[in-house]
Parts: sequence; C-alpha cells; structure tokens
Amino acid sequence: MYPREFDYVAPGTLDEALAVLASNPGAKIMSGGMSLIPMMKLRLLSPATVIDIGRIPGLDAIEDRGDHLAIGALVRHAQTASSDLVTTYAAALAQAAALTGDVQVRNRGTTVGAVAHADLAADTTAAVLALGATMVARSSAGTREIPASEFFVDTLTSALADDEILVELRVPKSGEGESSAYTKLGRRGGESDYAVAGVAAWVRKTNGSVSDARVALTGVGSKAMLSSGAMDAIIGSDGSEAAIAAAADRAADGISVLEDLYGSEEYKAHLAKVYVKRALGAALS
Amino acid sequence: MVNQRLIPTAIEPRRVLAEWEAGYQTLRMHTTSQMPHAVAGALAMALGLPSTSVRVIAPEVGGGFGAKLNVYSDEILVGWAARQLERPVRWTETRREAATSTIQGRGWIGTATIVGTRDGEILGYEFDGLADMGAYTQNFTAAIPFLGLFVASGQYKMPTYWKIDCVATNTTTTDAYRGAGRPEAMYYIERIMDMYAREIGMDPADVRRKNFIPAEEFPVAMSPVGFAMDTGDYAMNLDALLETGAYDEMKAARDSARAEGRNVGIGLSTYVEVCGFAPAGLADLGFSWSAYGLPSAFNGNGLVRVNADATVTVTIGTGPSGQGHQTTWAQIVADRLGIPVDDIVVKHGDTGDSPMGIGTFGSRSAAVDGSAAYEAADRVRLKAAKLAAHLLEASEDDIVFADGAAHVAGSPESSVPWSEIAMVAYQPQKAPEGTDPGLESEVVFSPANATWPFGSHLAMVEVDAETGNVEILRYVAMDDCGNVINPMIVDGQVHGGLVQGIGQALFEEAIYDENGNLLTGSMVDYPIPTAGDVPMFELHRTTTPTDINPLGVKGIGEAGTIGSAQTIVNAVVDAVASYGVTHIDMPLRPRRVWEAMNAASGNGRA
Repeated sequence: MYPREFDYVAPGTLDEALAVLASNPGAKIMSGGMSLIPMMKLRLLSPATVIDIGRIPGLDAIEDRGDHLAIGALVRHAQTASSDLVTTYAAALAQAAALTGDVQVRNRGTTVGAVAHADLAADTTAAVLALGATMVARSSAGTREIPASEFFVDTLTSALADDEILVELRVPKSGEGESSAYTKLGRRGGESDYAVAGVAAWVRKTNGSVSDARVALTGVGSKAMLSSGAMDAIIGSDGSEAAIAAAADRAADGISVLEDLYGSEEYKAHLAKVYVKRALGAALS
Repeated sequence: MVNQRLIPTAIEPRRVLAEWEAGYQTLRMHTTSQMPHAVAGALAMALGLPSTSVRVIAPEVGGGFGAKLNVYSDEILVGWAARQLERPVRWTETRREAATSTIQGRGWIGTATIVGTRDGEILGYEFDGLADMGAYTQNFTAAIPFLGLFVASGQYKMPTYWKIDCVATNTTTTDAYRGAGRPEAMYYIERIMDMYAREIGMDPADVRRKNFIPAEEFPVAMSPVGFAMDTGDYAMNLDALLETGAYDEMKAARDSARAEGRNVGIGLSTYVEVCGFAPAGLADLGFSWSAYGLPSAFNGNGLVRVNADATVTVTIGTGPSGQGHQTTWAQIVADRLGIPVDDIVVKHGDTGDSPMGIGTFGSRSAAVDGSAAYEAADRVRLKAAKLAAHLLEASEDDIVFADGAAHVAGSPESSVPWSEIAMVAYQPQKAPEGTDPGLESEVVFSPANATWPFGSHLAMVEVDAETGNVEILRYVAMDDCGNVINPMIVDGQVHGGLVQGIGQALFEEAIYDENGNLLTGSMVDYPIPTAGDVPMFELHRTTTPTDINPLGVKGIGEAGTIGSAQTIVNAVVDAVASYGVTHIDMPLRPRRVWEAMNAASGNGRA
C-alpha cells in the first residue's frame, strides 16, 4: 500500500530535531527507515510527521569510552557487525547485527533504530539486554539513561517517551573472563530473516565458575526478555556442558510464549532451550 | 499429500499506463504482460475499437512466471478511463494487492497410489486429486490440471489412472505459475515413487530406471496417458546425473554422516515437461487466444528484415520478462545470415510492430517463435543468395554467408558485403529482373507437436535434529532441453527455476483463514528464498534434440521448478526416515520438520 500523507522534516541538528518532535506530538523518528517505512506503507503506522535524523552530523560513530562502547544513532547494522571494537568487546551485538535482515537492510538500517523499534523478533534487542547496555534518550528537557532491562515494554513499545530520541547505545566492554554470543533460527531456516527464536548470552567467569550471566530471548515472547530461569541456573555453576543443559532446560520458565506462523508455543519453548544451550555454549567456549 | 498454494512474486508488480492519442485515434497502453497481443485484442473487444486503434506495449517486464499471463480487469479499466478522460491514466499495484488480486498458483491435494511387485515392477499408478480454482476462472485456470494430466505418468511406462476434481473456493483465483500443473503432477509421482522404493527396499534410482519408457520407443513414444512424445533417453540422462553427481560417493558420505548421528539425506527426482506450445490441434481444445478475438492458434511469429544499411531488425511475437530473448534471437539470426550479433536488433512486446504474437509462457518461446525467426532468416538468406549470385556472377547454390558478407564457396576472394546486397535489394532496377524489392520475410511457425524436455535432479540435505532446520548441502541438476542456443541463458533459467522450486519446498505458502482472508499478504509473512538461502547449484546437461522444430530445441524456462520441489522433499524425508517419518507436507519449515520427527518417534529415533 501507499502511506497516508505525512510531513517530512530533515533537521540539520539534534536540537532542531528535538524541537520539531516537541511541537509535533505523534511524530516518528526515522534513521534508516527499514522498519518505519514498511509499517507506514502497510498503514500499521500513520504519523503526521516523519523526522529524518539521517542528516544530523556526529551520530554515526562507534566510540571506545574506556569501560563501554558508545554506538551513535546513525551507526548502520553493517558498521556494527564489522567493527573491530564491537566484535572484540561486545561480540553478541556484532553477531546480532550481522544476522539482522539482509544485505540491503544492514547497509541502510541502524542498530539504535532497530533497538528503538523494539520488534519482538529483532536480533539486536536480545544482544543489548544480555550485554547490559544503557540507552541514552534525549528530549528538549534533557538527557535520560535507561537500562536495557527496563527499555523493552511490549511488542513494538519501548520506554522512550513521545518527545525523546534514542541517541546512543552504551554497551559495557566485555573484559577479562567475560564473553558473549548470539545465535538464532531464522524464519527462512538457518539464520536468515527474523528470529523464530534467538538467544544472546553474556557470561563472566571467575575462578572457574560462572560468577555472573545474562541470557536474553527474542522471537519467543511479546518482546525481547531476559530468561531468569536460565540465568539463575547458570550463575554459580561451573559452566560445564551439564550446567549449560540444566540452564537450557529452564529457558522458558515463567515466560509467556507467543505462537505465530513459524512456531507453535511448544516449538518456540523448545527452541528457546536449544538456543540458550547454543548461545551459552558459544559464550563459554 | 498437499501441493500448497503459492503467490507468484515477481520483482515488478503489475502496472498499466494508458493514453488516448487523439491524433492517431489510438489507445496506447504500456502494461506488464506476458501476452501483449491478447491484451490488445481484449481491449479492442471491451472498448468497441478496431484493432488499428489499440496498441499495447509490454516493455522489459520485471518477471512474470505466469502471473502476467492474464488480461486483468485493471488493464481494461485503465484503458477505459484513459479513453473517457482523454488523459494519461496510470495504475500500479502494491505488493499486498499483488498478493491478493494477481493470480496464485498450485493448490492441490491428492492421493497417489502405486501398485507394484516387490522387485520394482510397477503395475499401475493412480492419482486422485482436488485442485483449488479459487473464486473465478481466469485465462488458464481450468487448463492447469490438464497440463498436469499431459505429464501424468512422468518418465514411466505404467498403466495410469489420473483423476482430478476442480473446486471453486472463496479465495484468489489460481492460474499458471511457473510449471503450471506439471510441478504438481511430477511432485505426486516422484514422492510416491520414493515411498515405493523405500517400501520394497530398492534404491530409488534403480526403481525409476526399471520403469522408464525405453529409449528405443522414441520417436514417437506414446505416453501411458495417450500423448505422443518427441524424443527422450531417460536412462542415459539418469546415469549421467548419478555419475556426475557421484551418487555412490554421496551415499557413502551420507552413511558416514549418519554414523556420527547427523541426519543427512539424499533425494532424487526425474521429470518430464511438456512445452513448446502448441500444436495447432490444441487450438480446437481451447488452447488459443480466440477469447480475445485473435485468429491464431499458439503459433510462433518471426519477422526478419535486413535493412538498407545491412543491420537487421527481428520482430518476434513473444512477451519476455527477463528470459534474454534479444540475445538468443540475435544469435539465431546471426548464425543463419552471417551478420554480426551486434548489428541485429530484436523487437518484441509491441503490438504496433507485429500483427500477431502469442506471448511468452510454457517454455515455448525458443521452440516456437525461435523457429519462426530461424525460418524467416533462412528465407531472407535464400533471397540474398540470389542477389549475391547476380552481383558475383556465380551460381546461387555456391553462395555462402559469413563475416558480414556473401562468398563464393571455394573462392574466398570473390565476395560481396551484406551492405551491397541490401542496397541492391532496395533498388529493383539494380536487381535481376523479376525480383521483388526488399529483403525481409515473415514466418508463422506451427509446430506438429509439443516438445518434451526431461531431466533428473539430485540433492543432499542435512536436518538439524534439535530444530528441524533443513540445510541443502548439494544440488545437482542434469537437464535435457534439446539443443542449447545460449548456455548462460539456459543456466540462468535453471537457476531461477530451482530457486522457485526450493522456495515451494522450504519456505512459501499462501495461507487463508476460515473466512477467506489471506494471512500471508506481505513479504514479512510470505518468505521467498534469496541467493543467500540456496546452495551453489551444480548444473549439467545431456542433449537430446527434438525433431519437432528446425532448431532442435525443447524449452527450459520451467524445468528447474518442475524437477526441484520433490527432490528436496525426498531428501528431507530420507534424512529423517530413521525417526519413522514417511512424508512431510511442504513447506518444510523447521517447525514442520521438527513436529513430524516428534510425531513419528516421540522425539527419539525409532
């Protein structure tokens, strides 16, 4: 279909974008447009105003800030996937970015934009949850930091307020003994297309045991979410194959699994286990 | 077994632009059609215009696959609006409209039965099916099951009973989609053939070979359902596949992978296609464009004209959508005339250029329209030889054409370039007395029969025991489309066909809810394979020319699709047979394969 009529604004600065947003309630922010435009064409969304932040300078960098990486709002998936910094210090995010969409989407769509979009079957959403990232939101009133664990509210719904723009993603750098991984089954089989189920895992090993871990699921429930069952089971364990299997068994504990054309509740709960096992296995290997 | 409904997904949706040209009193329409002449005929009938007042142009169309082999009401309405308004009117369908209102394909449910001996001799084959027509019949809707019937017995000589009921449903109309009836028919034979082989414990290749129509019955073999088949050597083709694909090594690799606990499987399928439509006799059965007020059966049209500057204009009756006709026809004509390919322009898809054209569908273009161009070029060559003989004072029987000139055989220094021949042809006073001016010929080619390409395909897959995910490890095709004019174009056709067949096997399914709402109307819900989702194909050919046309070509547009879906399903079922799985309906999405493994074994190997 064709989108309904809308106004298009392409501000040159962030302040200008925030001002336009403040005075146009219901306006939508566009970075790469890989999700927003199809949704507008399907008329799932019909914003009166689209604010294209694509021409604002200074938002397209991946920076090393000592203890964390800062990923700007205009960093493309392809950039995230191939960045030495991300691959080295936040492997799960690089892997999730590499498995997002197809080549065209990865060259155009942005990592921060996909996170802000909060699709229930996106890849990077699980990675930022597992990596314990912080979202930096700006409005004309100031800056707000939102932990990833509080960011995903529901399907396509984030904690961003109407007047806020997600300008940066801060990802703690994996240090000594820490590692992460993302793996998934895609709708076209293998790792292709949206996640039927995807799992990101981050672990810290201290003195031969798993001292901390975060395990996040995508595609399984109504939003990207942490698997408290798997985390409870793996933290404090020796990270062995048996410990991983025990954690995998609890992957979907307490999670309301949503079925779709690609998986029944039973199958998706099963996949959550399989991919928790594979993601933890990769992170701990 | 279900052969599910598919949504033909061309990269270019349908679109129409019409304009009433008051000066010429002509309605000019650009449309994405595989059959512009039929659209022109339908427009003339619907709007009450003489054929001279309608010109339809189907330029380089972005994919058709049968979905653009219809006259759609949108085309008529846009033409009517442009005529009423005397202003240009344009319409472009959206992707969702393409999914819901452009025709869909397949949609069969059937039961296949083989009766045979324990040593692999088939005593009879029976098929009992239901074909979903959708809500209305369009161009070929009711003809698609007939195309299945034509190939009902595949490559095999076995008593065949084939019955299909065509039912109307409150869903989008089905019609021709790449292969059109033949992939469905071949799916059922080749699936049941595999089940039979498994039941009697015989190698799937051996069972097939044992029941082939023998090579010595060609030509003209009579298929068990009563159709004369031009040429074929099925055992030769299968043996070439097994050798090239290294079947024995593949089986050994499969068995050693299984010993490691991996679910690896091999799938084999043979196929025949019937194409190159159509013999004039079929027009009496309704296979013609008579409904559009056009006089012709499915003949081929070719006009070859050498211009005064020795360039060549070739006008053909096809309506291609990416098949490379300009390249192929230029080769055919260049080869006959000895004029460089670069000096030849091929025009198609414009009803203003040619009085008649059937269009492009059913793998017919090269066999039928290609033959027309071939024969037209031959006639031009004969006339040019007369003129050259006159200029060179030689006998016309001694004239040969090469490198842009006519030569006297045996004396290469005696030659005259095409440009000189052409100048004479257009100046009667310089030509021998009694010569008609001009240097062109138009041929309408009416084949005596359809052509029967064939082939065999082999695939190796691995199924993930935990997820049901299918990975194609190898795909080897041994196709036989008769003579090949341009190998790269033939390979391209096979590539596209295989991808669409694999799309049906693994990904695609049009799903309706109980109220007839399409649930898969967007590309998010209707996944199609991309280059990254398929393996590198190993393409090979045997060559068994047809005697039905002067080129010896059979057709290759649909072969890849006709041979591939069941090859993949056979391989996947082989991979998970140890769980007790005997069949899984397409598409073999991971979920469905996993559920089949679980249902058969309770998630453990039987």
